[in-house]
Amino acid sequence: MAGDFLRIERLTKRYGPTVALDDLSASLQPGLIGLVGANGAGKTTLFRLLLGLTKATSGHVEIDGTDVALDPIAVRRRLGYMPEHDCLPLDQSAADVVSTFAELGGLPARVARQRASDVLDLVGLDEARFRAIGTFSTGMRQRAKLAQAIVGDPVLVLLDEPTAGLDPGGREEMLDLVSRLATFGISVVMSTHLLDDVARVCDQVVMIDAGRLVVAGPTAALLARTGRLVLDVGPDTSTLIAALGARGLGAREVDHLVEVDDDGDATVDQVLEVIVGLSLPLYRLASGASSLDDVFLDHAAAAR
Amino acid sequence: MSTTGAVYDRSYRPYEGPRGGRREAIGALTRATIRRALGLRRSWRQKVAPFVLLGIATVPAVVAVGIGYVTRNLPNVDRIAIIGYRDYVGVSSALLVFVAITAPDALCPDRRQRVLPLIFARPLTGIDYVLAKVGALTAIVFAFSFLPQVVLYVGNLFVSDDALGYLTGHLDVLWKVPAAVTLLAVFYAVLSLSIASLSSRRIVAGASIIGVILVTSVVSGVLVGGSDDGSPAALLNVLALPLELRDLVFLGRIARESGLSGVEGGGALAVASYAAVLAAGSGVLAWRYRWAER
Repeated sequence: MAGDFLRIERLTKRYGPTVALDDLSASLQPGLIGLVGANGAGKTTLFRLLLGLTKATSGHVEIDGTDVALDPIAVRRRLGYMPEHDCLPLDQSAADVVSTFAELGGLPARVARQRASDVLDLVGLDEARFRAIGTFSTGMRQRAKLAQAIVGDPVLVLLDEPTAGLDPGGREEMLDLVSRLATFGISVVMSTHLLDDVARVCDQVVMIDAGRLVVAGPTAALLARTGRLVLDVGPDTSTLIAALGARGLGAREVDHLVEVDDDGDATVDQVLEVIVGLSLPLYRLASGASSLDDVFLDHAAAAR
Repeated sequence: MSTTGAVYDRSYRPYEGPRGGRREAIGALTRATIRRALGLRRSWRQKVAPFVLLGIATVPAVVAVGIGYVTRNLPNVDRIAIIGYRDYVGVSSALLVFVAITAPDALCPDRRQRVLPLIFARPLTGIDYVLAKVGALTAIVFAFSFLPQVVLYVGNLFVSDDALGYLTGHLDVLWKVPAAVTLLAVFYAVLSLSIASLSSRRIVAGASIIGVILVTSVVSGVLVGGSDDGSPAALLNVLALPLELRDLVFLGRIARESGLSGVEGGGALAVASYAAVLAAGSGVLAWRYRWAER
């Protein structure tokens, strides 16, 4: 679709016989985008393709209207990248490292030093900016990594597992920082296998599994589309499932409960009618649509 | 006191100013490498080695000028030449140690501390990275070899009885020294960086640089032996190879004391070998950083 901020079209990447990405397509708007998948799903390969550090076997990627394969240098001028692993020189100060990376991104030296100071202030490292990075805790290193990623005022920043290795407090702080980036006009692609992080921060999500697209789209819409009702009617679940099936409602037993596909208020009304008609007890009726795990599992199963 | 004024949000400001590309990124990486090698913006411990070695390399110039100063008014004493400009463009132990420290420090931490993915996420290619590192080390080795020459020249100028006469009598030095030092600096930058690029450990890389230089020197010395006619085997001596080019700059021919003296076409062979070492070193560097655009 024209006007997409991040457009991935039929992207395939093979390393010899290994298929890292397989015919991946997605169209995404500016904002906070979660890239979800298990280890080995192809997230790092996708990041390398977005950065123009590797060539696609077929297909292409456009970021803000620029084809990455055709002009990777132009793309990297406006991109920030925060790898998962430790990647900063340990014997240099945070201020020196961040200003150097700002200069490498094309900013004049004086501007780079000023912005490094501002950004380190933003991530909460203002008082530690002249300390060697080797003396930093894991949380401080993650924040320094984020600082170097955004110091050049990128249009898009790629964050690879930004909360990895952080304690609960550090994780909360990092997610707060990430969610603030959109207010600065910086779009984010956040790679993670923690679906809670995505649900909390991201307004769009791309799920991949074994190099293939599972599902992509706005987070809220994906959650709404996978709504389920969970019913506890005691032991007589098979009678209810049969009656619901006769009405065309998808229902199944899960852990002695009945799970019904929920398409809205009409579904609730019909389910209640059936239960009353069968004179079954109703101990509990709850919405089961609250988790991106369900979205992932449902779509992954369907894709297989 | 006025209470009016603007309130600024220092937390984040978009950047709308000029933004450079590859050339600016290469320049930035070159400057960062030079700062790192000289220990600038780092703790005082990192500054000790480069500046102590530079001081040691400058000692002969200071001694030469000092003797010239002390003996300037003595009658019947000819000018005592402790060291000449040509000899001073040489490979000293201080230079070898300097190169063996700075070249690994320029490359190894980037690989060992996994900084390379961050660098290549900027508008740089693998070749740009190599250019920046070679440029930085060439500049550093040039400064290391050239500054003592400046001390020697300026010092001689001042202790000379006739400064203007000294200047006009040594005009050729003004181009020969920079040219010879440039040849030496480029050679040692490419050679040492190509060796350092093969390891992520500074100590291994530094020892390898010293080892390659000394082993080729010894092997060449054994092969050349005591031959008065010289031998092409002298070309194997990477320690002496840039000095052959230095002699071509200063003397216009291979020096008599060189192992190549007496070898037909020795000068051309030296130039070809020099170029071959540079080409091989550049090839190794390009190969080691090719993955950035794979």
